[in-house]
Amino acid sequence: MIEAIDLRKVYGKKLALSVDRIRIEAGEFIGLVGNNGAGKTTMLSLILDLIEPTKGYVTSKSMKVSETDDWKSYTGSYLNEGFLIPFLKPMEFLEFIGSLHQMNKDDVRAFLFANTSFFDMDTFSGKYNRELSAGNKNKIGILGSFLAKPEILILDEPFSNLDPSSQMWLKAKLRELNGEGITILISSHDLKHVTEICSRILLLEEGHILKDTPTDADTLVELEEYFKI
Amino acid sequence: MLELLVHQWKEKIRSPFWQKNMVLNIVLGIMGLYLALNVVFLSLLTDRILAQVYPGRDTIEAVTGWLFYYFSADLIIRFLFQQLPTLSILPYLTLPIKKNRLLHYLILKTIPGFFNLVAVLLILPFFVKNIALTQPVAFSIGWIIPVLSLVAVNNFLNFTLKKHFSQKPFITVLLLAGVGLLVYLDVAGIFSISAYFTAAVYHLATHAYGVLLPLALVALSYYLAHAYLKRNAYMEDTPTKATRNSAALDFLGRYGDLGHLIGVELKLILRNKRPRSLLYVCGFFFLYGFMFYKKENLDDYLILSFMGLLLPSVFSLNYGQYMFSWESSYFDRILVSDITPYTYLRSKHVLLSMSGIIGYLIVLPYAIISYKIAFINAAFLLFNIGVTYMIQLFFSTFNTAYIDLGKSQFMNYQGTGLTHFLVIIPTTGLPFLIYYLHKLTGALEFYFYSIALIGIVGIIFNRTLLQMMVRLFVKRKYRMALGFRQK
Repeated sequence: MIEAIDLRKVYGKKLALSVDRIRIEAGEFIGLVGNNGAGKTTMLSLILDLIEPTKGYVTSKSMKVSETDDWKSYTGSYLNEGFLIPFLKPMEFLEFIGSLHQMNKDDVRAFLFANTSFFDMDTFSGKYNRELSAGNKNKIGILGSFLAKPEILILDEPFSNLDPSSQMWLKAKLRELNGEGITILISSHDLKHVTEICSRILLLEEGHILKDTPTDADTLVELEEYFKI
Repeated sequence: MLELLVHQWKEKIRSPFWQKNMVLNIVLGIMGLYLALNVVFLSLLTDRILAQVYPGRDTIEAVTGWLFYYFSADLIIRFLFQQLPTLSILPYLTLPIKKNRLLHYLILKTIPGFFNLVAVLLILPFFVKNIALTQPVAFSIGWIIPVLSLVAVNNFLNFTLKKHFSQKPFITVLLLAGVGLLVYLDVAGIFSISAYFTAAVYHLATHAYGVLLPLALVALSYYLAHAYLKRNAYMEDTPTKATRNSAALDFLGRYGDLGHLIGVELKLILRNKRPRSLLYVCGFFFLYGFMFYKKENLDDYLILSFMGLLLPSVFSLNYGQYMFSWESSYFDRILVSDITPYTYLRSKHVLLSMSGIIGYLIVLPYAIISYKIAFINAAFLLFNIGVTYMIQLFFSTFNTAYIDLGKSQFMNYQGTGLTHFLVIIPTTGLPFLIYYLHKLTGALEFYFYSIALIGIVGIIFNRTLLQMMVRLFVKRKYRMALGFRQK
């Protein structure tokens, strides 16, 4: 589904990411872990063609992401606040995203109704995106990424700032989406969450992939061992 | 207190905008100095100007009367444009610094502000030349203290005014109308408030206690500002305005992605302070027509083309300069959205063209002065849609600076780069080049037809030109996105 070949990103003299070859197969659920500065966001940004690789390239369905726009129609993503349009109300924002994927207002409403335990429309009414709390911004962004019925879902630290119930809900939801065949790539600092839901873990350190392993019963212990100071 | 000032200074010089644009800062610095010199000269020449306008009238008296208008205008302009410093103290609120001290610092910080500098530069040179050097010391002191006090009062009073009225456009209009009425009554000679004002200043200047009253006013306005800040220096008080309903824009959805994009951009303009204040300022610009569309200018091709090029499109040209930078806070969202770059750029071009057409309609009543204006402006409208807006899009792909939508436009150079000065060369240069070519070949009467024709050619090749812009945009987008992420 997604392939990165000989991918390098260098800022000035500092190496941000260096990946010789990595393949993400359709239907996989990948968790990206690593300390700050390990290159998680850099990797996600390169896959989304938000930054230009210093060397190498990324393909999505065998087409270079930097050369086509095709991947945008089947890729849902939320990295950070920069993905929200600050002066729109949450509903307007979601309707706008929906409209770009040929969904009308009723479709968007039906979608929200189905996810009402995560996003309660009434609590958000009358506010602009820019006025929402960090957790609520995160929620809107995540919903925006689901909305387009993507084949690939890319989320950067989706659990951050979410309240416990929302975290539970999101975990279940991601599992469900993955069960439907959606390829998912998330990064997280919460080792328990990723080992619980992901089928494959990528551990990054200073721009390199240190570990690439399917999740099993021991993965959590191994990761905790690695991150221990 | 000193530490706070040091932080302030660091905030300024460490902002990426300042560091990235040294050349621009120097250019702006020179322009600022030039403006300051102009003000000083104006002040020094006031007595001569007065002698010509009102021969035989006492200079000091006349100037004092004028000061009334100056202060009224000053207060209104401050009310509309002066920014109150509130947010920058948020990180300090939880630190062990006395809150009162923070508040005093906030208020005092406004003293070296733009409006105060202009006022002082305008008043002091005149004062030195015409009062301090010619009048008795007691009168000089008695005159300057009330006058400078009023500058300070305006400065501090603005805090209070903003608090009470800034959310109420109706009151603002009322305030403007009130001052307008006073000025009208004064000029028409029905009720001369400026004469009362002059008399009051003279009374204060000639009595010993006259020093105290203005100073008391300063203290009072300072106290009001302080009291206002004290009640508002809490996190939760960052104003939450009622959301605006722009549902009327929904019809745009019928035009597919293009319509949705334009709808979002219109909301951007209407719901954010900076583009909105740009809109207001451009509203004032339309009045320029009264200055330039005069009988003696109606045969001057240069002035007419200048106006035709700039007046109807004043908003689109200003807004278009910062294209993409407006969206800097969510540019990544645009990049991953399922919109083709072509549709995206086309939405920009359509938006600019629409605003050009609206501008044309707003300016159209000037055609009462001469039908030529409607004709020439139409030629330039075609030219702008076909050529100028393309040039703007071209230059806009070099925008890499973040813009904070929540700040006022006034005296705000955030997001300004050298390209914004360079873009002036082709936008104004091209029509003038065409003009001179016609003049040289003696075909001046066809000049406006050529302008229109070139515009139409541009419109015919719209698709091709846009595709060229798309190629440029795709190449530049990483650098733009990188710049936009650096707030």
